[in-house]
Amino acid sequence: MFMGNSCVEEQDFGQYNELSVIPQFESSIIYIEATEEIINLATSAAFYTQDFDFNPFSENVFADRVVDGVITYELENTTSKPLQIILEFLDEADTILDTETFFIDETPSAVLKRDVAYGNTGKSLDIITNTSKIRVTANNLGDTSSISSQQEPLIVLKSSGKFSVRIK
Amino acid sequence: MRINNIFLILVLGVCNFVTSQNKQILYDFSEIPQSLIVNPGTETDFQWYSGVPLLSGISFQAGSSGISVNDVFANDGLDINDKFRDRVINGMNTKDDLSGNYQIELINAGYRGKNPDNFYSFGIYNEGDAIGYWFQDYALLGYEGNADKLNKRFDLGDLKTRGEILNVFHFGVSKKIDNKLTLGLRGKLYSGILDFTSTKNKGYFVTNEGQNNLLANTLNADIELKSSGFVVFDDVTRKDGSVGDLVKRGFFGGDLGVGVDFGFTYHLNEQTVVTASILDLGFIYHSTDVLNYTLKGDARVEGVEIILPDAINNGNTDFWQDLIDEVEELVPFEDNNKSYITYRPTKLYGSLRYNFGEQIGSKGSLDCNCNVSGGSSYRTKYANNVGGQLYVINRPRGPQAALSAFYLRRFGNVMAIKTAYTIDKYSLTNVGLGVSMQAGPVNLYFMADNLLAYQNIAASNYASFQLGINIISWGKN
Repeated sequence: MFMGNSCVEEQDFGQYNELSVIPQFESSIIYIEATEEIINLATSAAFYTQDFDFNPFSENVFADRVVDGVITYELENTTSKPLQIILEFLDEADTILDTETFFIDETPSAVLKRDVAYGNTGKSLDIITNTSKIRVTANNLGDTSSISSQQEPLIVLKSSGKFSVRIK
Repeated sequence: MRINNIFLILVLGVCNFVTSQNKQILYDFSEIPQSLIVNPGTETDFQWYSGVPLLSGISFQAGSSGISVNDVFANDGLDINDKFRDRVINGMNTKDDLSGNYQIELINAGYRGKNPDNFYSFGIYNEGDAIGYWFQDYALLGYEGNADKLNKRFDLGDLKTRGEILNVFHFGVSKKIDNKLTLGLRGKLYSGILDFTSTKNKGYFVTNEGQNNLLANTLNADIELKSSGFVVFDDVTRKDGSVGDLVKRGFFGGDLGVGVDFGFTYHLNEQTVVTASILDLGFIYHSTDVLNYTLKGDARVEGVEIILPDAINNGNTDFWQDLIDEVEELVPFEDNNKSYITYRPTKLYGSLRYNFGEQIGSKGSLDCNCNVSGGSSYRTKYANNVGGQLYVINRPRGPQAALSAFYLRRFGNVMAIKTAYTIDKYSLTNVGLGVSMQAGPVNLYFMADNLLAYQNIAASNYASFQLGINIISWGKN
C-alpha cells in the first residue's frame, strides 16, 4: 500500500566507479648500525657488504596498488673517519635497479637527510615494485686506527617509506 | 527505473541488516493474535486462532543511524569522493550502526483452555537479526592510512558486530488473574542456524617515533570473531553439502538455547491501562560447526635492523623473513573450535494507555459489566485508545531506546487502525500506521513505519513493515 506510493529521488549508483580511495601508509624500512671498532677491525675498505631479501615492495598486494611514494634516509656519523654507504635495489635476477650512495664526513658532521621520490616526477615506480633484494655496502674512506672522541662512536643509517596505495 | 531503484535500495538495506526490532504498532494491538508475541500478557478474547502457515507473520526492519543511500548516491552533481569523505568517513562515529531484523512465522496458533481464563499460544518462527557498528578507526586507517598521524591510536575495539539466523519454538500462556490483571509467560527453545559475533575486541595500532629507526609501528591486538554454522553454509554454497544440512540446524540439529518472555496487562482503573513485557531473556550455546578466529598479541616494528657485528656473524640471515616470523609469533592469527555462548538481544516494552469513547462489546462473550472482577467474561473495548510506549533493546554498545505516542481507533469489530509517532536513534520523524481488518473469521493485518520517509525512500534511515493473515474464532455460532 505504502510502497506503491513511495518515491525515490534519482540515484546514480554509477558514481561508485568514480570513488577513489588512496590512503598513505608509512613505516620504517631499514636500520643499519656499526661501531667504529668494527670499521677499524675490517681488513678492507668495504667493512660490510650484504645482500638480503626484501620482498614487501614486490608483493602483489603492494606492487599492484602503489601510486607513488617517498623513501627518507637519515645518516649520522660519530666515528673519526669519512664513510660511504651504498644501497642497491636488486630484482630477483640480481639486476641492479637503482643505487643510492651516501657520503658522510667524519665527526663532527651534520646528520645527512635525503628524500627520494618514486612515481610522478620522481624515479620510476618500477624500481620499487620490482625490488626483491637490497644490497648494503659500507666503505671506510679514512684510516683504520683513529678513534673518535665521541662516546660510543657509530655510523647509523635510518630509513622510512611513505607510500600512497590505491585501495579503490 | 524507479521500481529498480526501490528494489536495489531494499536489497541493500536488508542485506545490511539493520536492527531495531521495535514493533511499536503491533504492541498491545489486541485485535491481532501476533500481539501475544510481543507481550504474552496481552488481553485476548479469542476462543482460538490459527495463523496461515508462512503468512501469519512476516516482518522486516532495516535501519542505518548514520547515513542513507541518498547521502552518497543522490544524483546531485556533487563529487562522490567529497560525499564519501564528509558523510561516511568523517560524518559517522562508532555509535552509528547498520542493523536489521526479519521474522517469518512458520506456524502460529492459540486456543483457550478449559479454564477460560487461560489462553495458550504456540508456534515456530524463523528470525534473522544482525547489527554492525561503524568501524570508525578501521575505516579511517583504510581511507587515509597512518601517514602523518604520529601517536594516533587506531582503536581496534571499533570492530563490534553480531548476527544470527535461528528458529524459535515457543509455547506461551496468558492467564487472567482477575478483571484487572492478566499475566503472560512464554517459553522458548532456540535452534541456531548461523551465528557470528565479534563484540569484545580490544587493542590499537599506532605509529610513533622509533627508538632506533625513524618510525615504530605498534600493533596491540585482542580480536576475536566467533562463528557457528558457516562451515555448513560454505559447503552448501560450494555444493559440497545440501540445503537440508542447513535446514536441519534449524530443527534442533545445530546450536540450542532457551529463553523466556514475561508480560502483563493491568487496569489502573476502568479506562487506564498499563502494560509491559520483557522478551528473549535467554541464551544460545554454540557447540556445532564452530569456527573462531583470533588475533592476539603485541608487536613493535622499526623495520629491518642490521646491527654490526652481529650481522656479520650471521651473514646468511634473512632479515625480512625473520621480521615477518617474529611479528607472526608475537601476534599470531589463529583459529579454534571452542564452543561459546551468546545472549539474545533482550527487549523491554512498556505502555500506558487511556481508553475513551464508544464502548464496543467483545466478540468473545456476552458484553460484560467491567466492574465485575474475575470470571470468564471479557472486557469491553473502547473505540479510542491513546497513550505512550517505551521500548528498549540490549545491544552490544548498550541499550537502545525508543519512545512512541500512539492512537488506536476501532470501527466496530471489523477494523482497527493504530498510528504511532516514534523517536529513536534512527529517526525523529517516524510516523507509522497499522490496520487490522476482520472479515468473518479471517483477520488480515498490515503495518508500516516511517511513512514520511517514503517521499524519498533512498533518504530514509529506517524502514519496516509487518503483515499477516490469521483465522480467528470467538467461539460463537
